[in-house]
Amino acid sequence: MLSLKNIAIIAWNTFRESVRDKILYNIVFLTIALAFFSIVLGEWSVFDRAHVIKSTTLSIMSLSGLLISVFVGISLVQKEIQRKTVLTLLSKPISRGTFILGKYLGLMGVVAVHLSILSAVYYSILFLTHSSPTLSLLQAIYLVFWELAIVVAIALLFSSFSTPVLSALFTLGVYFAGHLSGQLLEQVRFVQRMGEITGGMSTLLEKAAVVIHAVFPGLYRYNISAYVIHGVALPDNYLLWSSLYAIGYISVFLGIASWWFSRRDFL
Amino acid sequence: MIQIENLTKTYRTGFFMHQKPALKGISLSVPRGMIYGFIGPNGAGKSTTIKILTGLLGADSGKVAIAGMPPKRPQTRKILGYCPEQPYFYDYLSGRELLSFYGRLVGLEGATLNARIQWALQTVHADKDWIDRRLRTYSKGMMQRVGLAQSILSKPELLILDEPMSGLDPMGRRDVREAILSLNQEGVTIFYSSHLLSDVESISERVAMIVDGKIVREGTVEEITESASTEYHVRTGQTLLEQDLPQNVVSTGHPQEWVCKDATSKDAFLSYCLSHNISIEKMENSRPSLEEVLTKEIARAES
Repeated sequence: MLSLKNIAIIAWNTFRESVRDKILYNIVFLTIALAFFSIVLGEWSVFDRAHVIKSTTLSIMSLSGLLISVFVGISLVQKEIQRKTVLTLLSKPISRGTFILGKYLGLMGVVAVHLSILSAVYYSILFLTHSSPTLSLLQAIYLVFWELAIVVAIALLFSSFSTPVLSALFTLGVYFAGHLSGQLLEQVRFVQRMGEITGGMSTLLEKAAVVIHAVFPGLYRYNISAYVIHGVALPDNYLLWSSLYAIGYISVFLGIASWWFSRRDFL
Repeated sequence: MIQIENLTKTYRTGFFMHQKPALKGISLSVPRGMIYGFIGPNGAGKSTTIKILTGLLGADSGKVAIAGMPPKRPQTRKILGYCPEQPYFYDYLSGRELLSFYGRLVGLEGATLNARIQWALQTVHADKDWIDRRLRTYSKGMMQRVGLAQSILSKPELLILDEPMSGLDPMGRRDVREAILSLNQEGVTIFYSSHLLSDVESISERVAMIVDGKIVREGTVEEITESASTEYHVRTGQTLLEQDLPQNVVSTGHPQEWVCKDATSKDAFLSYCLSHNISIEKMENSRPSLEEVLTKEIARAES
């Protein structure tokens, strides 16, 4: 049985633990440095300076969030197991699901703070370089947050039963598959239409692409930098549906992680 | 309070998942309000049993119940306090912060939480300045006391301690012993494992001895040591010849002092003395210590 109060207590402790992690500071400082470097890139680029700064900074935001989600996310559960702090914690009247959810929300708190700091840096850079900072950029940041929310859930799922190295590899694998699955399906259908592959092979390839597209979370949906940078309007309720889509995947991943974790023995 | 019936647990280790039985059908029962010692050599299955009792490990077969409830259920752990062997905690917190964290997890808040932390610290003799220092600066003894304090924060009905005295200096051991006795006087049932058999002998009401995954002895310390072979030292009024005496009666080297190896040989020797009008000047029995019994059981299991 899940206790909201205990989830909040574990989440707060996880947040407190994460913000004292040196890896986190390294990633945050490196990200801020890279964000400022985007000004230089904008100057060097043959493209519009404002566009380069915006797209580079959004990519940096997404990538640094990915690093935090994967490395801090995986180490959070593994550290509890390796340092045996999990023994005392799980002997308290809390369910394993409460533990997983608390860890998840704690790390999401860290991700939220990270994105907030970067957003402030991002807007400062845009103001400093007169690169037309618009509020619509917040839509892109909002979706980066949901994308990372899915990645953190994947990282927690893998770290509930695997080693840290394998968990990191699996998580990155799902991340890239999730970003490329839409493209893969489009490519397969394009090649079919062009008649380059036909018959049984064509059907098999399409089915494989459809399965990959259906199973892996479509993380490409959360990259809308092209829309906001060029001022193109998003489809109606895009943000709402993307949020619900993320919540669906997160619920499944955390459900499996809790179920697996509750079967696990702690020596 | 604790019921264990035919409990088995096998670990699977290595690439080929070799099976290593840790518990081979153990059964024991701990009544409410008792201090119960659980002793055995390293790798005998003590920590495995304790982790099954605290819900950290699942059993392969058998029944385990704490106050009639399965240990895997979070509600069961509301009445349970547990301190693992060599407790590890979040070392970025101070001792007091850690206790506050665990206290809130067991449902304490505000003034009640602070009062309970103070009570727990006093009980384990840890209400000192160092409690507000970061845990990474703590010695093993300090860590053990904090571990014990967190286990009693909820005022549990059952306290399970895995090697609570290991690595402590004599003062630390005395403090932990006193804490166990004082909690027991307040009605807490205590189930603990220990290597320090002198401590077990001094505070346990009952003891279970586990060797190679099986309970080999169970009872009060007296029952266990009595059930092991007891020797009788007899001093006779006259000198005797060893070859005339019943079986299992041996000389100590003195012609009037004899050792009967068991109760049967003692009875036979006394009958012999009676029938030959030999007076008995002194007779005492020497009971083996818990350590000697355990050593014999380990040797038996190894053979």
